[in-house]
Amino acid sequence: MEITRRSFVKSAAIAAAMAAAGGSLAALSGCAQAPEKETGTEGAGTRTGTTANVPDEPEVVVTSSVCRYCGCGCGVLVSVKDGKIIQVAGDPENRSNRGLNCIKGYYLGDLLYGKDRLTKPLIREDASTKGTDEGLREATWDEALDLVASKLREAWKADKSRIAFWGSGQQPITEGYLTSKFWKAGLLSNNIDPNARMCMASAVVGFMNVFQTDEPAGCYDDLDNADLFITWGANMAEAHPMLYSRLTAHKLQDESVRHIDITTMKTRTSASADTVMIFKPGTDLAIANCVANYLIENDKYDHQFVEDHLQFKMGAENIGNAYEDTYDKSEDGARSGDTTPSTFEEYAERLSEYTIDYVSELSGVSKEDLTMLCEAFADPELKIMSLWTMGVNQHNRGTWMNHNLHNLHLISGKYGKPGCTAFSLTGQPSACGTAREVGTFSHRLPADLVVNNESHRRFTEAIWDLPEGYLDEIASPGFHTIKIFREMSKGNIDFLWSAHNNWAQSLPNLTRFLGRDGEHMGIFDTFITVNEVYPTITTKYADVVFPVALWVEREGQYGNAERRTTVFQKAVEPMGDAKWDVWVLMQVAKRVLKDETIDGEDAFEHLFGFIWDTKEDTFKGNDREINRAIWEEYRIFSNPQMKEAAAAINESAGLHMEAKQLAPYDEYIEQHGITWPVREVDGKWLATKWRFTDGPQEEGYDEVGIEMYGKHGLANNMSFYKSAGQKPSVVFRPYEPPAEIPDEEYPFYFCTGRLLEHWHTGSMTRRVDALNRALPEALLYMNEADCKSLDIKDGEKVRLVTRHGSVEIKATTSARVAPPQGIVYAPFFAEETLINLAVEDYYCPLSKETDYKKTCAKIEKL
Amino acid sequence: MKTSEIVAVGAGAVVGAQLVMAAVRTSNSVLRPPGAKDEGDFLSKCIKCGKCIEACPYGALHVTGDMIGSAVGTPTLDVRNQACRLCEDLPCIAACPTGALCELDNRRDVRMGLAVINRDLCIAVKALRCEVCYRACPLIDEAIHIEYKMREGDAIHSVFEPVIDEDKCTGCGLCVERCVVDNPEIAIRIVRDRDEAKRLIAAEKDKVLEAYRLAETWGSNPDEYERKGGSGPRDMSKPQA
Repeated sequence: MEITRRSFVKSAAIAAAMAAAGGSLAALSGCAQAPEKETGTEGAGTRTGTTANVPDEPEVVVTSSVCRYCGCGCGVLVSVKDGKIIQVAGDPENRSNRGLNCIKGYYLGDLLYGKDRLTKPLIREDASTKGTDEGLREATWDEALDLVASKLREAWKADKSRIAFWGSGQQPITEGYLTSKFWKAGLLSNNIDPNARMCMASAVVGFMNVFQTDEPAGCYDDLDNADLFITWGANMAEAHPMLYSRLTAHKLQDESVRHIDITTMKTRTSASADTVMIFKPGTDLAIANCVANYLIENDKYDHQFVEDHLQFKMGAENIGNAYEDTYDKSEDGARSGDTTPSTFEEYAERLSEYTIDYVSELSGVSKEDLTMLCEAFADPELKIMSLWTMGVNQHNRGTWMNHNLHNLHLISGKYGKPGCTAFSLTGQPSACGTAREVGTFSHRLPADLVVNNESHRRFTEAIWDLPEGYLDEIASPGFHTIKIFREMSKGNIDFLWSAHNNWAQSLPNLTRFLGRDGEHMGIFDTFITVNEVYPTITTKYADVVFPVALWVEREGQYGNAERRTTVFQKAVEPMGDAKWDVWVLMQVAKRVLKDETIDGEDAFEHLFGFIWDTKEDTFKGNDREINRAIWEEYRIFSNPQMKEAAAAINESAGLHMEAKQLAPYDEYIEQHGITWPVREVDGKWLATKWRFTDGPQEEGYDEVGIEMYGKHGLANNMSFYKSAGQKPSVVFRPYEPPAEIPDEEYPFYFCTGRLLEHWHTGSMTRRVDALNRALPEALLYMNEADCKSLDIKDGEKVRLVTRHGSVEIKATTSARVAPPQGIVYAPFFAEETLINLAVEDYYCPLSKETDYKKTCAKIEKL
Repeated sequence: MKTSEIVAVGAGAVVGAQLVMAAVRTSNSVLRPPGAKDEGDFLSKCIKCGKCIEACPYGALHVTGDMIGSAVGTPTLDVRNQACRLCEDLPCIAACPTGALCELDNRRDVRMGLAVINRDLCIAVKALRCEVCYRACPLIDEAIHIEYKMREGDAIHSVFEPVIDEDKCTGCGLCVERCVVDNPEIAIRIVRDRDEAKRLIAAEKDKVLEAYRLAETWGSNPDEYERKGGSGPRDMSKPQA
């Protein structure tokens, strides 16, 4: 390609030179134009023909919706004419973003109309063609459904530990709920996990361990109220664009508001921070402990908050790393989640080694900066909001780091007052709403319930009309994500179904998981079914591809980082023969569950009869009615009074399920999204912005929840009514080093992540021409001194090699991302630059979330 | 030499000079490779050998197409198509045999022109989080920076406005290549004459920006929408970048 272009340029130059020397000018035309780039602007949708001045102009219909991409969860309004989206704009009535978007949202409508939408079911006959562009042929829906159902049923009947579903934080809530119900109650399998495992699991386990309830207590309004923002391993300026705009707006309005960026490398977030503290990878654990230690040693912690609210624990230490597939069952793995009750004094004692001197030496952050950070937390008046994402979560001690951040905010009392909170940002539009709230994990049931708790199973059985004890078969958690793919790579998974993700690009250690090491070839034997909207690397490994509805081609719901549930209404029909995922699920479920019974009734009918008319083989209503019906069943989990049997268990087992109370479905559409718990007060459904903080419900405080279960008059007007003994747990977590440490052979830390123009694996944003033009290639961001010492020039291609694999990539010294010496960074959106071939798959022992940030690498000049 | 010959040569020289002048007049807005000085100097030295074009590893350079006279066959760039990537070793300059592209100590010294942002069109100015030009710039935070300011009438959003540094911008055009707005035209361009560019930038700064108008086909009540603070949609009936 390059040679062709260059030789063309050369001949053009010669022709032009000759023409200038005496040839005719006419000879020039056509041969001396700039080489055309293939920009592909012909995509449908980019030129949706709005025929101007037509007398019978078709009506434009506007529906409220929410952005398809990140966890900010910005509301949008979608305009449709003639069955096509003609405009997408920010929704001023959505309280998460109030009318503004980033460029991904600006170009959101174009996402549906990429040239290569999948519109027909596809079947692969010959598994040896996997991994290539060949081998998939078009099929009818019946053929594809029959094939998938027969393979699933066969594998399930033979050994249900050999089937798996890999879901997503992009799956709408009702779809995730039904999938989980099918897998857990229909197939009695816990081998279901979402990609959110690789994104939010450390935050989840952190929240669960500390508060016994998942998700932040604060909200985006905290961004309007803090005196000090601290970003911990979070490049918010790129990964959460509109929230960063809000943070910046607050700083601009009050000069005293500051922002400290605590990071391993300078990013666009550092560019506008007041102070940047660059730490050595992994030492964030020690930095948080250093502050906690300072507060206690100098008696500057919040005595009242500690007295009223906290209990203390010691956690297991020296827990090793998941280098081996057998780690979970090893001695270290088995005890990694253990905690023992402790005292404040013991906690203080263990912290005492984290002096400013020691931590400065360990982390590389100056003593002055550490002291400044400590003093900030010591100031009782200062409202501090900590924000974090993948730097903290994708960490070999990700759960520990989540603990340490909560610990810090709890003992300093920087919690529960507007502007004072420890806020975990999310990366996906419904990591919270679906993966976490519905609980599409291998160890969970809906609404914070877990499979290995008897009363949780009883409660779920009551809602799903299952005989008592029916779910005891799934009392043990199934395979978490890495376990699924490690087992698959060894040939131990017979059937895999994935939806709303692109695992063949997003998983770490792809050299192993894609069988590129010549050793782990299981991917070629597993029957793989993929729900997709565009061809991806994952569809290259699929045996069957189901073409599904994209975004507003059906109705769905997303739940964002501030607990806001927003409905995206159906605006257009699915493209071609593409179908709603729920339709696909029902078709497969009815085939797989044929002749199965639950409590003497047809199993499919028992589980899904409320939405599916078996005789007519169709839904019992339109998209809205089906979503509403699913929602109203799901809503019983957080409104147990809706069903007598559920209410009784909620009462007797003290589950406090109303802690996450959800509103009737149509409220979400009318209100353009609501943050839970949603409380009915005088016939109105009111949002809660600050969970566990007492105050008027109308103003967003948790008045109803505290009245129901909590206590008034405690420190910060808080009451942690969902926590064990109503007291969150401060668990001591020490510093332990990363899973891989740079050495002579692999001297660099390789960190991966996201950049603003593209979202995740780029399977959607790269179909939007403007976004692809804005950032067409993935580069390896390097420090200039490292480039000099390796004799690498800006823009030169290098080979990045790790113990796990290698990838060729162009290096750059552009300071968009500016790592210090010894660290390199690359984004993961570009499938042609498959960086995850080289990323380790070592996970946090507690959350099983892998560390995408600290693979040791060497850089070879090519 | 005979008188008639002298006259002929002289006439030829005059005609030649006129041609050069014409070429300068018509081509001085054309972008030239790194190291080129003013258009007169460049045209007097460039022998159209095509070596700089061959040397460019990105294929960014090509010959001028619709020029007349001596500008024909000289190298130029269409930065929207392929911008200069500011190679550290500037191979185009190294390849030039005549000094039409003058040696530079550092790629930061390249002066191909100066970027001018059309603030009416720039969506970052309207508080959408874009700033693609800023993040694409090889000299980020030097040649271009972000001016953070409040969005009028909105307490929770700020404007991240990209601002060009008139002294440090090299005119490489990567910002133009990457800009997501091209309707009715690209929201940023490279102006070769720096003085003219500075005048244009000053005029842009003085612009009183119109409120973000909603496209004609917007279906809900536009006034109501704007009152509530919406940013407005992208009109998808227009082609995207």
